[in-house]
Order: sequence, then C-alpha cells, then structure tokens
Amino acid sequence: MDELIRLGALGTGGPYHSRSRLTITELTGTPVAELSLVPRLFVQRTMAALHEARTLPAHDRAAALARAGRLFATGVVDGITAEEYQHIVTRVSGMPITVVRAATEGIGRRAAEAYRTTRYARPQGAVDDWRDPLTRNGHAVWTRRGDVFAVHAAGNHPGVHTLWLEALALGYRVAVRPSRREPFTPHRLITALRESGFGDDHVVLLPTDYAVADDVIRDADLAMVYGGEEVVNKYGNDVRVLPQGPGRSKILLTGHDWESHLGTIVESVSAFGGTACVNATAVFVEGDPAPVAEAVAERLAAIPSLPPEDDRAVLPVQPVADAHAIEKYLLDHVNGATPVLGGDGVVDELGDGSAALRPAVFRVDRPDAPQTGIELAFPCVWFAPWSRADGIEPLRNTLVLTAITDDEGLVDRLVEDPSIRNVYLGDTPTYLMPPWVPHDGYLGEFLMRTKGVIRT
Amino acid sequence: MSTDPILDCPFDQVPEGPKFIEAAMRWHFSPETGSPYWLERAKTLGFDPREDVRTFEDLRRFPNVANELRDVRVEDLIPRGYGPDADVVGVYESGGTTGRPKRVVLLRDWMERLTHRTEQDLQAKGYPESGHWLALVPTGPHIFGELVRWQAARRGGVHFTVDMDPRWVKRCIAEGRAEEAERYAEHLVDQCARILETQDVRVLVTTPPLLTRLARRNALVDLINAKIDAIGWGGAHMDPDTHYLLRTEVFPDVRLHGTYGSTMILGGLGERIVPPEQDIVIFDTFSPFITFSVVDPESGEPVRYGDRGQVVMHHVSKSFLLPNNLERDLATRVAAPPGQLGDSVADVGPLPTFENEQVIEGVY
Repeated sequence: MDELIRLGALGTGGPYHSRSRLTITELTGTPVAELSLVPRLFVQRTMAALHEARTLPAHDRAAALARAGRLFATGVVDGITAEEYQHIVTRVSGMPITVVRAATEGIGRRAAEAYRTTRYARPQGAVDDWRDPLTRNGHAVWTRRGDVFAVHAAGNHPGVHTLWLEALALGYRVAVRPSRREPFTPHRLITALRESGFGDDHVVLLPTDYAVADDVIRDADLAMVYGGEEVVNKYGNDVRVLPQGPGRSKILLTGHDWESHLGTIVESVSAFGGTACVNATAVFVEGDPAPVAEAVAERLAAIPSLPPEDDRAVLPVQPVADAHAIEKYLLDHVNGATPVLGGDGVVDELGDGSAALRPAVFRVDRPDAPQTGIELAFPCVWFAPWSRADGIEPLRNTLVLTAITDDEGLVDRLVEDPSIRNVYLGDTPTYLMPPWVPHDGYLGEFLMRTKGVIRT
Repeated sequence: MSTDPILDCPFDQVPEGPKFIEAAMRWHFSPETGSPYWLERAKTLGFDPREDVRTFEDLRRFPNVANELRDVRVEDLIPRGYGPDADVVGVYESGGTTGRPKRVVLLRDWMERLTHRTEQDLQAKGYPESGHWLALVPTGPHIFGELVRWQAARRGGVHFTVDMDPRWVKRCIAEGRAEEAERYAEHLVDQCARILETQDVRVLVTTPPLLTRLARRNALVDLINAKIDAIGWGGAHMDPDTHYLLRTEVFPDVRLHGTYGSTMILGGLGERIVPPEQDIVIFDTFSPFITFSVVDPESGEPVRYGDRGQVVMHHVSKSFLLPNNLERDLATRVAAPPGQLGDSVADVGPLPTFENEQVIEGVY
C-alpha cells in the first residue's frame, strides 16, 4: 500500500480527521493507516448529540441494517472493496484470511438478522408496543433501559462487532470505541450503516487514547466493555456496564472413547487461529490425560506456519517482537507443567519481520492447577486430569464448556452453575455461536426491560 | 558590590543577551550578592559560572538542580544582594506531580517586571480595558492564582476566585477514587457558574481540563459566549484538536489565549498572536529572563526547527536563577523572533506515556 489509509473518527458531523493520530502498522512494521484520535471534548459533544438524536422506526432500522450488512460484506465502502478490507485486516491482525472472510460474511448475515435475533431475548409475556391489544387488560411492554449504548470493542476477531448491531436494531444510538489493533472493521461497518439509512447521530466511531476511554462509557446510558480480568474487576459492580471478560472455554471428556472426539478438541483449540474467547484453553480428561494430549499435539503440530493471507493459513501471525513477548509470557507461566508441544518456544519466524505462533500443549497434574486459566491469543491448551470426586469446581468460570459425558447428574450441575455461561453437550465444538444461542446471555437481556402497561 | 544596572534595567528595555548573562552570573555567584544556596552549590559545579558562563548556550553547562528545591530553606534562595529586607511577595510550590513539591521565592521586583510584560501582552491582544475577572485556577501555594491576581489588579476589575487544590484531585486519581475527583471538579464548576450567572465578568482564566468540563453544561457555554470577551487558559496542556473545537464550535464568540509557564520559571508567557487560520499555538519567551530550548530527550542536543523535542526552561533574573530545567513537556521547536535568546515553542504537549501497558493474557 503506497498511501496511508486515513481512518477518521465518525462523529455526528460526519468523518472527522483529527490532528492527533495513531499510526497503524501491519505485521512487518510497515505503516498502513493513520487513525484519528479524538479528545475528551469531542467525545462529550458527540455523546451529547447521540442523546438528543431521534431513533428511526423499527422497520427502518431493520431494513437499514440488512442493507448495511450487504454493503459491508460485498460492496465498496469508503473506496475499499471487501477483498481489500479483508487483506488489510489479515495483514494488520495476523488472523488467517479464511477466518477474516468468514467473519465478513458473518457480519453481513448478522446485520441482516439483527432485528430478528433480538426477538430471542424478549420475554414471552412482553409485547413491543403499548398499542398491542393485549395491554388492554394489563401486559408487559418490552422497553429500552436507555437510549445511548457505548462499546469498548476488542480487536481479536471482527465478529465482536456483530453483537452491538442488536443494540441498533433495538433502537439504541451506539458509540463504538475501536481497538487500536483493528479499527478497520468498525470503521467499515459504521460507514456502511450510515450509507444505508442510519444518521450520523445514530452510530459513531470514537477512537480515543486510553485516558479518554472512560468518558465514552460515562456519557452513555449503558455500555459493553471487552477486556481481561482487569475489566471485570473495574466494571463488575457497575450495573450500567456489561463486561465481556475472559472466555476460559473448556472441554470435559469422560469415558474411554476419546479418539472419536479428537477432531472436536483440535478444532475447539485452533479455530479462528485460537484468538477467540470461545476457543478451548483447557481440556479436563477423566483418567489419564497424557495419551489425549499427545494425540491432540500430534494433530496441532501438523499445522503449517504460513503467512496469514495464504488460503491454507490456520495459525495467527504477529510481529516478531510481539510474538516473542507472548512466548515469554507463556514460558514464564509454565511453572512445572509438562510440555507436550511448544515447550521450547512457539515463535516461528516467517522471514519478513512477522512470526507465526505455533500451537502449544501442556499437561498439569491436577484439575485445579492455575495454568488451566491462562488464555492466550493462539492455539494453546492445558490438559488436566479430572475425576468425579473433583466435582465441577475446576470447570467453573467458563464461557463455553463442552461436556462429553453420559452423566446426566453432572450435566444438571453444570447447567445450573451460574459461572458457566454455555454448556455444549456431546461432540460439539466450543466455538459454535449460532445467533439463536445466547453467547453470554442475550444482549437483549441487558439492554431491555419489561414495563407494565394497563389500559382502561 | 553594587548591582549591575543591566539587572535592574527599565521594564521597557530588552537587555543585551551576553552582557545580561555575565552580569547575572556575577550577581548570583559573588559572595556579597549571591544566594546562600547557589554559593554553596557552586562549590560542586566543577566550573566557575563567573568565568565560564557568558552566553545563552553556556547555561546548558549547569546541572538541573530543580529537584534540590524540594528541600532548600526558602531563606537560602534569596540573593544576599537584596539585603536583610528583601521584598517577598510569596513562596510558591510546584504541583507535586513528580514527588514532593519544589519551592521558589517570588520577589517584588521580578513580579512587577513580569506583570508589566503581561500587561503589554494583554493590551496587544485587546483584552477588555475594564470589567471583572474570574479565575478558576490553582490557588494557595500555586503561583498561577497569584499571577492572575496581579494581572486583574493591574486592569482594575474585581477579581473573582474559586479555591482550587489540584493536589487533592491528583491524589484522588492516584488512589483510584476517580469519582471523588469528579465530584470535586463539579464542585468547582458549580461555584464558577454562580459567579457567571450573577456577575458582569468579562475575562475568564482557567485550565484546559476545566474549560472542557465547563463545556459540558450548555447553559454555561451560553453564558460564557454572551458575557466573556476573553478566555485565558494555562496551567496544563491543550491538545490542538481541543483548541480547534473550542475556538470554532464551543466558544466562537470568545477570544482564546493560551499561557505557557511553570512555577520553576516564576511565570507564564502568553501565546504569540497569529492569524486563526494558522491553527497553531506558539509561545515566545521573555528573553533574556525566561528562555526555552527544545532538545532531543535522548541526546540532550537541540532538535531541528519544526521537530518535536523536550522543553528545557531557564530563568535568569536578579531575583532568581534556575537554568537548564528539563520540563516534562514536548514541543515543536520554532524560530524565535529576532533578538530573543533560545527557542520559541509550539504545540506543547505531555511526554508520551504508554497508552496502556501491553496486555498479553486474554484474547482481547
């Protein structure tokens, strides 16, 4: 790319190119884009304008979302084709191109379905409109908890930008603070939404530095924040904020037949380059985990190191220095675990300043080993022994738990446990996310509430 | 030893650089006239300022002694040449951002010289000749509040103030009590609002963060646009995007004038008058008394004109000497007007800090 892409903020007065800019580099360190960073004053004025804006009727929102999805996934947005967009995201994030292509399609599809998918969260007893005849005898009406929704987005996977589309569908005005790692997806998506019928004061992109980030949340009615443990600690007690914390997805394997589930385990660890919150990071095996870990390691070891734009690429790629930092973090935290794969390192330099992060497999000797909670953005998995006597404690605090077991009593307890957000049973990979299945609850549960209406 | 008249030159005269510096070195490092602090400190300098410091460039030979001002007795900072009854306006302290506060003594002859200079600047900028001032700036041990008080008095208006303790805000934030800092800041704005609502204030002086906060309240924005002729901002950085938005969108009916200064130079300097379309804030110095250099943070060498570097400040007057003080500011080096020693600075901003520690664990 000869000329830097100028990614402006998308404010209520249209694109805004600020004087303060952040250079976005691709994997080799070459600058590819300049992201405008807006100051606090811009944020507060923009948020105030969102509060004053008028929401479109539901029908228009649904139609505009569908148009925007098509445009995002297949059209030319801001002079950039879908293929060019996908190439840039791949070269900046290091995510395999096939993953980015699938995510592009997924965003297009989820935008088209956004209004429909909000329906799953609506209580059966509630209607959408006070005019509904049911309210004559008293009924629940499903209403927004606020008007302005803010998102501190993540840059690990373009798919994180599908969720907040439901907020738009429900009539919220939305402000997205992009990740500095990958601002291209929300910029393209919001530009497409604006070209498809949403006003400039309905959905905005506010790239800010860290010091101003909290202002976006403070000035919104409700917010969703992606991050690690620190985000959960910071916002866990704020009822206005929905933290999207660590995934720590897990697989539980009971019984003797593990060989027929190898594919599901390998896929759960390595899909999306291992960068998603739904990737399995720990596998608990009833009996001896060693043979399972070795078989998984053997399959993972066969994955080639390739540049991310290669159609056959599976592994994530990072600039060499970043890759080494991740490797160092891993090796510093092995802490007595037995290496099965990647114990000598995971960095495989590609020769252009970037490096693939190769899979790592370790064994720990007890189910409550702290390493099972380590979640890194590449295929990295910890195998632990588990027995029924250990109970569900080691399986808790999990976004997706795939339980391969015949023990219905155990499944009862897993489904009842509030810290396990999704339970997938049988030979089901952890990464499945159909829109009708809640991800971490339905977003609509957070955005909406029922209000009593009685007409006499 | 008598005072070299160049150190007491009339307010309207600009003393010639090298002659002034030589005279200042004689004053501050002669046993009869120098301060106890500098006379003692001279023993470990490794050079004799009276012999070896003759030009502006030679000021860079001094070590940065600013940190020592955290512990020095204020009596030891007053040059002996003032005699036993030096006219002390007050003692002022640095903000305390980087540890315990540093302390300086403000003497009347310097304050009068600086006030004269500032008055000329206000006249050039067309500040209202009459009318009240409202200062929403750090008070107490902070020199900013005192400087504004003198300027307002010189102009003849009533000077409305609000008590402000920025150290409490910093402490709240450092201790993770952002909500308390928020409440305190709103308490300041509330007090400011009551004055603006009821009084005929024409000049508002405040800091960029508070100006941004004032802009959150539409009623206050309307009041300021209706009542205020000029806003003087200082005491903190204003990024160029905020400056542009304030000037063009928030306060289009008010003139905005920046001041750049520091407790350690005993003053602040108004921005250069440039056409608005240039969209830049430049600060010239009060040469030869207050001067700047813009240097490479690594090598300490001057950067090229137009490049960014770290700001080094020098204060050289009869009342005080603090050369070669490296500030925690970055600025673009700009050519100084003819006759001014050192550099002018533009787009002053904070030293870059890591936006966020690199987080490795987790997928986000």
